[in-house]
Parts: sequence; structure tokens; C-alpha cells
Amino acid sequence: MAGNTTLAKDFTIKELLATFVSRQVRDGERVAVGAGLHVPRAGILLAHLTRCPNVRLYVVMTFTSLLKEPRMEPFYTVYDYRPAKWAEGFILHDDFQEDPRLVSDTFVVGGLQIDKFGNSNLIGVGKDYKHLDFRGPGAVGTLSMAHYVDRYYLFVQSHDKRIFVDKCDFISTVGWGQGGADGRSKLGIPGSGPVYCITPLCIMDFDETSKRMRLKSVHPGVTVPQVVDNTGFELLIPKDVPVTEGPTEEELRTLRERIDIEGMLRK
Amino acid sequence: MLPERKSLVLDEHAAAALFRDGMTIAIGGFINSSHPMALVRQLIRRGIKNLTVVGAASGGLDLDLLIAAGCVKKLVTTYMGGEHYCPVAPFFRIAAQRGELDIFECDEGMFYCALRAAAQRLPSTPWKAGIGTSFPEINPEIKLYNDPVSGEPMLAIPAIKPDLAIIYAAHSDAFGNVQHIGTGFGDRAMWRAADKTIAQVERIIPNEEVRKNPLTTSLVGVDAVVRAPYGSHPFAAPGYYIEDAGHIREYVDAGNAFAKKGDRGPINAYLEKYILKPKTHEDYLETIGIRRLISLHEY
Repeated sequence: MAGNTTLAKDFTIKELLATFVSRQVRDGERVAVGAGLHVPRAGILLAHLTRCPNVRLYVVMTFTSLLKEPRMEPFYTVYDYRPAKWAEGFILHDDFQEDPRLVSDTFVVGGLQIDKFGNSNLIGVGKDYKHLDFRGPGAVGTLSMAHYVDRYYLFVQSHDKRIFVDKCDFISTVGWGQGGADGRSKLGIPGSGPVYCITPLCIMDFDETSKRMRLKSVHPGVTVPQVVDNTGFELLIPKDVPVTEGPTEEELRTLRERIDIEGMLRK
Repeated sequence: MLPERKSLVLDEHAAAALFRDGMTIAIGGFINSSHPMALVRQLIRRGIKNLTVVGAASGGLDLDLLIAAGCVKKLVTTYMGGEHYCPVAPFFRIAAQRGELDIFECDEGMFYCALRAAAQRLPSTPWKAGIGTSFPEINPEIKLYNDPVSGEPMLAIPAIKPDLAIIYAAHSDAFGNVQHIGTGFGDRAMWRAADKTIAQVERIIPNEEVRKNPLTTSLVGVDAVVRAPYGSHPFAAPGYYIEDAGHIREYVDAGNAFAKKGDRGPINAYLEKYILKPKTHEDYLETIGIRRLISLHEY
């Protein structure tokens, strides 16, 4: 990557998370840009503008390349028509079944609850489906996309024991199922599953054998006990837990000057 | 006399005369865009009840409004929220928590399977995504079975056939050749599945205009066309206007008063002001006001 690769000193946790997301993108892939979540959106665009000139971005139901856009006009919703001015083409939403991999190679999945095997729940919280304590928004396209894409990322905007539970009340998207390296393949699920779980406190990955969630790194200023105390299941803790690496000067400049011009990641 | 091609243009009242209690009705669009709101408001004005509503693949506050007005018995959609306006649609949330709403729980892949099965006159469509999830458990209409060829476990997603689809598009000619601006979201799937489709459009354009760009024709032949300028308001209309953020917030505030405090006063006032008092779409637009409407430009 051209430019200043010195690590930046002053950045927000959201800018750090966007940087982490950007490092997951591989050049030449198709990548759906969910508009509603500022951090993954900024991260994918950062990858595109720095390392991945050949990604095909799926933006608001159209495909495009934004490499030559000097500054991104904000698009915050998946229905906003204005980004269609960039469109090179589209795949119709009702052609979903033809091949979800034509839409994206990766995906970001959120959750009201996430369990130790990375299964997630957008349906609702409560024991009785007919009388939930809290009814969620529904699964949207998460389970079909997460089933087919090459790999996906769990992303939540808060890290607490209400979200990270031993067992989800309902599973809307399968992570590693009941666990084990064959947790997905024995169900006949093609995609290679959740890779990381990204939170405001830390990054978690999955143990290679048990597929239980494991702490990978903590963000600057966050301690390991703080993560453990806010997680409702027994998290695997490796001997060495590094601090999550932040953006380079060049990445931070690109984020602030070309992508996040409204400063949503600085709020 | 030479035969004449028949115009399919109806006014909103003649179109609304097709609505029946208990029917299965598909409503096009996507979250906060492209809903046939002039017709949705007519559903409420007419007091249509016990609907099975097949919302957009990702539904939105258009469906929540129908729940608030007491029109819905059963709901088929994958998402009920308003993106950044509200995480979960308020009347949907409370009705679901109280067990008052029959929900066909599904995701977008399953949703289009159900419409595709209906279009193909099949009892169901196979789908794989959902194995290992709670969906077959909480939606007993979705059946687990073993594929007779490979033996692997599969889900059978039942056909859902709308009696009527109402969709919003930018343009149609008088003969039902509909041209969306933008992708048209999942409207084609609804049109293929439904017995009849009414297109509510921003403009009715000359047939010659359609013939200039036939590849743009997204629905070749709907059953009726209703002209309603600004007819997706308060939601966005690609190529014409963005959503009315202030109006959507007013609705969400009314919803939250009910969801958080049990107060139906604000939503009753909303329904009275914007839906029951105005008798026509023109009355509705006058209530919203021309300054507000023309401020919703895309540039």
C-alpha cells in the first residue's frame, strides 16, 4: 500500500473497527456494503480505496466500483436510490435464489443474542415464541447469505451479557451449530462460517477444534477481565492477548477525508 | 368500427373496490421505499380486516401502519423495522409479543421461495439455508424432509399465493406496461405469484414512451393502473423523491407512545388526521402540504 504506513496515534474505537473490517476484504471479491451499519460500510470502502481496487461493491442493490470517487457522499440506507448513479449493473432482489454468492462473497451478521459457537438470533428474546419478552426485527437475508457466502463476520454495537449468552433463545443464523470443526459440514452448510466476532471491546475468533469463541485481541484501553465480565459464556482466553492494531496514518486519512466525511465514526 | 385497446386505468376508489376482508395481499417496495401508500391508506379507510399481508421481502412501517389500524391477521415478511428511524416496528413488536399476530417467520431466501412456488403452481420450493436454525420449529408451515435424490436434509417452503399484489412503480402506460425506476426490489416476484396485480404509479405515460425503452418494462401487463403522484409518501420513490424523515419520525413517535406507555392517543390522532379525514389521495396531499412535498427532492 502506498502512503504513510506509520500507525496513527489518535483514532476512535469505531475507526479502529473499520480498519479491522477493511483488512478482512480480499481484492477481486464481491462485497455487499450494508448501508445501515457505519463501521462495516466504512471498513469495506477503506479496503476498496487502499488495497482492493478490483472488488465489486454491492451498494444499495447495484454493483459498482468507487475507486475514482474523490469523496463518498453518504448513503445510510439499503433503499436510498441516489447511489444508483454509480451503478454498473444490478442483480434483482428476487433473483436471490439463483446464487446468493453472486451478491457477495462475505457478509456481516448482527444479533440480539450470540452464543459461544457464533450462532445468532435476530428473531426475539424469550422462552415462548408466541409471547416473547422482546420481539426482534427478524432475520432479513442473514441466514441465507451466511449459509452460502465464503465467510462472514459477526458485528455488534455493544458488548454485554444480554448479547453474549450461553445459548440463544432462537437461532436465526447458524455459526458453528453445536460446535466442532464439522459443526457446519455435518448440517450440509456450504459456507465456511463466522470468522471473527467484532465488538466495541474486542475481537474474538473461534478455536480450531471446538469452534468455541476465543478472545483474539482487546482494543486499546480495554482489559481482559473487562471482556470476561461482560460475556455471558465461558470465553476461551489464550496466553497472549494482544491489543487490536489501529489504522495507519494513511488509512486514517483515507477514512476521514474520502469515506467518513460526515464524521459518523468520530461521534 | 375498428376495435380499441382497453385502458386499465382505475381511480383509487375503483381499485380499492377489489379489496376484500380476509384476502392475501402482497405489498411491494422495500423498507422505507416504493410502497403503494395511496392504496394502503384506502385499505385502512375501508376498514378491511383479517388480511394476510405478504410484505416486501424486507418490510417496513407500511406494514406496521396496517397492524396499527387493525387490518392484519397474518404477516409474511423477513424484517419489520425502519432502519435508522426505528430498530423494530412498534405496533408489530407489541402485537407479536402479545401473540396477537400470526407470523410466517422466514428470511429473504425463504420469502422468495414461497412466492416462486406460487408462481410455478407448485406446493413448495426446496431451500437449504435454515437447516440448523429455529425456523422449522417456530414456523410449522416450513417442513423438514430428506431430499429423495441425495438424501440430505432440506426445507420445504410452502407456496404463498397472493389474491392480489399492489405495487408502486414510477411509470406505466394505460395498458399496464409498468416501468420502474431503479431495480424494482422484489415487485416482479409478487406480480408473478399473485392472481391479480394493481400498479400504483407516479405518472401514466404514453404507450409510445414505453416502446422507446421496452427493456425497461419491468412488469409486462398488470391488471389495473392507478395514478397517484407522490403516492409513496412518506416513503421514498426512486427518481422522484426521498422519504419524508419528519413524517416518519412523527409516526414512530406515535408508535413508541403505544409501545412504551400503552398510549393509543397519538396513533389514533395520526390515523384520523392523515388517513380517515382525507377521503382521497389528493386530500392526503393537501394535508401534507405542497411545501413539504416539493422539499423531498433527491439532489
